[in-house]
Amino acid sequence: MLAFVAFSLRRAWQGFWRNSVMSLAATATMVLMLMLLSGLLILWTGLHSTLDYVQSEVQVVAYLNDSATSQDVTHLTSALKAMPQVTSVAYVSKAEALRRFQQRQPGVANLVDSLPTNPLPASFEISLRDPADYIDVATYLRGQGAVESVQDIQKTVSQMIAVINIVSTVGIVVMLVVALTVLFIIVNTIRLAVVARSEEIEIMRLVGASDAFIRWPFIFEGAFVGLLGALITIGLLVLIQAPLANLLSGFFNVLPVQASAMVGQNVALIVLATGIGIGVVGSYVSVRSYLSR
Amino acid sequence: MSSVTPDPESGLYRRPEIARSHPTDSTADGLPVLSLRGVTKTYSNGKSALRDVTLSVPEGDFVFLVGPSGAGKSTLIRLLIREELATKGKVMLEGRDLAKLNRRDVPQIRRRIGIVFQDFKLLPNKSVRDNVAFALEVTGTPRSRIAPAVDRVLRVVGLAAQADQRPAELSGGEQQRTAIARALVHDPRLFIADEPTGNLDPLISWEIIQLLLRINEMGVTVLMATHNAEVVTALRKRVVGLEDGRVVRDETGAAYHRED
Repeated sequence: MLAFVAFSLRRAWQGFWRNSVMSLAATATMVLMLMLLSGLLILWTGLHSTLDYVQSEVQVVAYLNDSATSQDVTHLTSALKAMPQVTSVAYVSKAEALRRFQQRQPGVANLVDSLPTNPLPASFEISLRDPADYIDVATYLRGQGAVESVQDIQKTVSQMIAVINIVSTVGIVVMLVVALTVLFIIVNTIRLAVVARSEEIEIMRLVGASDAFIRWPFIFEGAFVGLLGALITIGLLVLIQAPLANLLSGFFNVLPVQASAMVGQNVALIVLATGIGIGVVGSYVSVRSYLSR
Repeated sequence: MSSVTPDPESGLYRRPEIARSHPTDSTADGLPVLSLRGVTKTYSNGKSALRDVTLSVPEGDFVFLVGPSGAGKSTLIRLLIREELATKGKVMLEGRDLAKLNRRDVPQIRRRIGIVFQDFKLLPNKSVRDNVAFALEVTGTPRSRIAPAVDRVLRVVGLAAQADQRPAELSGGEQQRTAIARALVHDPRLFIADEPTGNLDPLISWEIIQLLLRINEMGVTVLMATHNAEVVTALRKRVVGLEDGRVVRDETGAAYHRED
């Protein structure tokens, strides 16, 4: 068994360098395709965190009656916090609301001063786990006596959910199409490399080599092409990481993306797995057509 | 290993290592090495390459397979090495029905057959030694056993001195002898030569024929497809003639007919 693996690895290594032009062509194709794939992956990750960020910004705002007591406020706060859909609850008092208004509209600040009482209501700002839970929370609040009104953002929320769903679906479909194209192109390139050595396969068959002895060196060679392609791709990605990060933060300037190290690690793992996987599958498929004759 | 180096030109030299009998050999009981019974091969395009061919070759025989191009010689050989299966009839090798052979057992059967072709089929970037060793490496032979076996067959074919040269540095005859060495390295019971002298000039052709005769004298059954009239006529061996997929003659000690 060990001798067989050693034999296959040695043959794979020899095979790669003996047909170096074909092998390097396959590796170059692999690098180009993996770059394309990881570019899309990074774009998609960025898009996804934008969507997550936007979702986290969805808030239910409930305005309270002026007659609401501090007991009402305490009761509502704990009741809201107990709801599973709610991630955080912030109470904005009348005074705080006025301060915020003055800050936001400095031009009309003295206008407010001329009013006898503070016209702004106290409110709750409630962050949700998922924008789709808006209705549940809003319905609950509307049933409370202390609540004067709930800001109606139902339409906005449902539009946003629709857009997010479309963007995610399109993103996944595009990724799948590109992945399939990549698979097809690389399998074809590897097939060319195998065809270039069909004579060798023919001789192996004639002298009585078993299928495993014919197949495994090619599979290892494919894995090697994949590994090399993936490592080169990861190297290139590391090189262009800084300018890419600038570009991305310009593109998705809304979000404070701090997760780039994590993203980088995930992309590297995916590139590595995809490269080796496609190399193995490509070799297997290419050699199989010779063995089944 | 014997210290005597066989001389390729001297002809009749028997190597006991190659001639040793295989204990599991069904041919030892007098069964033919190969036999075809009512074999028909029809391709998917409807063309019949072989029609109702019946043929039996006993162990140790030397058979010329003759016939015009397209008569079915290559198809017959492809059936024998189980590259293809007969449409009808039975192809038996050492008593085993090739059609009933498990896919996994096909490589085992191929190691019992040595085969050479007109175009040698050598790997250009390997030396003579490595080309021969290749046949053992890819069949999982332990490395310690490879070198002595390769040296032995290289001496049989008289290429010990050229072992480190590459095919491009060899003459056509030497290339064919390399291919013969590779075919011999598994100690085959049946040796198939498909137009082995087709690319060689007459003098070199005779050297190759001498080598095949010597292999036959070592106890290996030889089947040689050829167009070489001079050789067939001179040797007076068994001649099987194919024409349009049928066996049109099967004579011992025959000459090459003009229509072959």
